[in-house]
Amino acid sequence: MPAPETLLEFIRRRLGLTGTKRSCESQVCGASTVLVDNQPISSCNYLTCEANGKKLLTIEGLAQGDRLDPLQEAFLRNVGAQCGFCTPGQIMVAKPLLLHNPAPTRKEIAEWLSGNICRCGAYPAIVISVQGAAIELAAHKSDR
Amino acid sequence: MIPPFKLIQAHSTSDAVAELQRLGDDAKIYGGGTELLILLRHNLVQSDYLIDIKSIPELGSIRCANGTVSIGAAVTHRSLETDSTVREMLPMLASAESQVANIRVRSQGTLGGNLCFNDPHSDPATVLLVHDATAQVAGPNGKRQVLLGSFLTGMYSTTLEADELLLSVDVPRLPAQFGGSYMRIHRLQRPTLGVAAAVSLRDGALDEVRLAVGCVGPRALRLEELEGNLHGAAPAEISKIIQESKTSLKALLEPIDDLLGSSEYKLYITGVLLERALHEAVHNATR
Repeated sequence: MPAPETLLEFIRRRLGLTGTKRSCESQVCGASTVLVDNQPISSCNYLTCEANGKKLLTIEGLAQGDRLDPLQEAFLRNVGAQCGFCTPGQIMVAKPLLLHNPAPTRKEIAEWLSGNICRCGAYPAIVISVQGAAIELAAHKSDR
Repeated sequence: MIPPFKLIQAHSTSDAVAELQRLGDDAKIYGGGTELLILLRHNLVQSDYLIDIKSIPELGSIRCANGTVSIGAAVTHRSLETDSTVREMLPMLASAESQVANIRVRSQGTLGGNLCFNDPHSDPATVLLVHDATAQVAGPNGKRQVLLGSFLTGMYSTTLEADELLLSVDVPRLPAQFGGSYMRIHRLQRPTLGVAAAVSLRDGALDEVRLAVGCVGPRALRLEELEGNLHGAAPAEISKIIQESKTSLKALLEPIDDLLGSSEYKLYITGVLLERALHEAVHNATR
């Protein structure tokens, strides 16, 4: 029997996509977050076979061609990172928050992201980045 | 690396029970995997077979009849946090579920897995005890039901036999005149302790009182003696009665020193949160 493969191993080794990070491997730090059918999961603790037939989204799939996702833009604009290791996980957890709640309060953002650890301590800028993306998305929507 | 195992898809509950009977201790039930995959990776649990129960429809459903919500064992924490029936009928449970670990664990982890693993640092059991919830269990000789307070026997242990499967948890809503409250404090995404309170009032005094405490000792427990002592008391007497019960609470809860706090600290905070939760429950009952 081959060793069971985690979705993280599948993404990094077989797909060669290294934006998704390996860190605590116990669903605490959030660095390996990806979306499976729009639900945030820790790919380090999720069997690849569970994703069979489901829609997988990693940080690499967020941009539309050359156009970055509003969350990516907001993290760049607000410097929502220091070393950047946790950033893909922060963005992939923030993404379903904005899908589910387009205008979150500061407290709601902090609660939702409380399971994503940033060892540099960039939390204030991370929260501002998510708020910035929400404002950008709302402005974009009212343009139409 | 996770050691090799064979994943078996169970299509019905009888299918799952038959596999458990056939494979015995070599098999484990696999739901969300949030705890199990970590234990397998660290060799704290060895298993040649995992029986996946997530595609059994009845285990993934939330049903409501006669004021009781029946929650399938494979329903995720996130579903319980967001489900409109649960939010309306069992607001205390929805609130506790919204605080479990983090959004990824809630999206993946199941109520049944949480209860069967019976990690003492957990939220849902404490609330369910106050609701007098019942566990529905299937085994080779048919079904049996057991009060959740008897199902949860100790740290990481339950009355579930190796060839038995938890089907659902039946949760009666609190009677109409009751108010409830769940309070917890946490560090590092795990509750240090959680307290659930439900009360009804008569002429301004506490009438029926239900209290449960989790995470302090080996398992979540109802506080029957303190419930009795609070019956008939005025809300202003709550603090004094809790203080007087500290010695018996210590004997009952068997507080444990761990990374989340010393036993002395946990016992002190238990008193603080019991008082706050009771006052909030009184407030909710009178509303």
